[in-house]
Amino acid sequence: MKFKRNIKNLSESEIIELAKKESYYFGILYDVYFEQIFRFVFSRLGGNESIAGDVTQETFLKAMANIQKYEDRGFPFSSWLYRIAQNEVSMYFRKSKKDNFVPVEIEKLNDLKDEITGDAGISEVEIDHLISMINELEASHLDIIELRFFQQMSFKEISEIYNISEANAKMRTYRILEKLKSNWGTK
Amino acid sequence: MRKFTRNIDNKSLQPTEEQIKRQKDFSRIHHDYEKLTKRGKKPLYRDPKALIFIVLVAVIILLLFLES
Repeated sequence: MKFKRNIKNLSESEIIELAKKESYYFGILYDVYFEQIFRFVFSRLGGNESIAGDVTQETFLKAMANIQKYEDRGFPFSSWLYRIAQNEVSMYFRKSKKDNFVPVEIEKLNDLKDEITGDAGISEVEIDHLISMINELEASHLDIIELRFFQQMSFKEISEIYNISEANAKMRTYRILEKLKSNWGTK
Repeated sequence: MRKFTRNIDNKSLQPTEEQIKRQKDFSRIHHDYEKLTKRGKKPLYRDPKALIFIVLVAVIILLLFLES
């Protein structure tokens, strides 16, 4: 029988180093991070359980197969997993030939509209207008709007997913908001 | 293709504990990982030691056959 080290006393970076040598240890990381990655994928896919399950499994499989390439650059390990999950979700949408409808809560649309116009409250007409505007955005811009307003991630979290600086994440978001702002009154 | 819609029927966008339990399965990932990384057996012609051994045995058998 293989001797397994007492994992309770190990730090996360030690477990990652062990997982690079033996796949058994990756199970510990899976146990810790499965739920948060599954929740992220589930809500990005509009609550489709079976597809979210498959995309999450694919995320962890890719992480497990590429853990040798993982380098600790001061970001949490979860941001590396989120980055893989983000790519897997985007790939799923790209490959999917049919339209995938992702429901968004009205409060979140309201927050986005508030950010664009500076006015609180949103009417039925404005909801439809806003949805048609965001659906016309290019996929990479849509991802940022989704992460910031629908997933309610901080700029720091977004920057970790994209491996960019926090200031850069803010700048990208505000550029997209500016674009939405200029389109808001034109339709 | 992704299209956003308003959440009219208040569909939950957060999974239940039961759904999380149902989808959490490390053995499936481990199995897929093994399948992905498991290398096929080295073909004989790519294993020089085995090839030399077989050629030697064949030469010895041939020499014994010619001798007799």
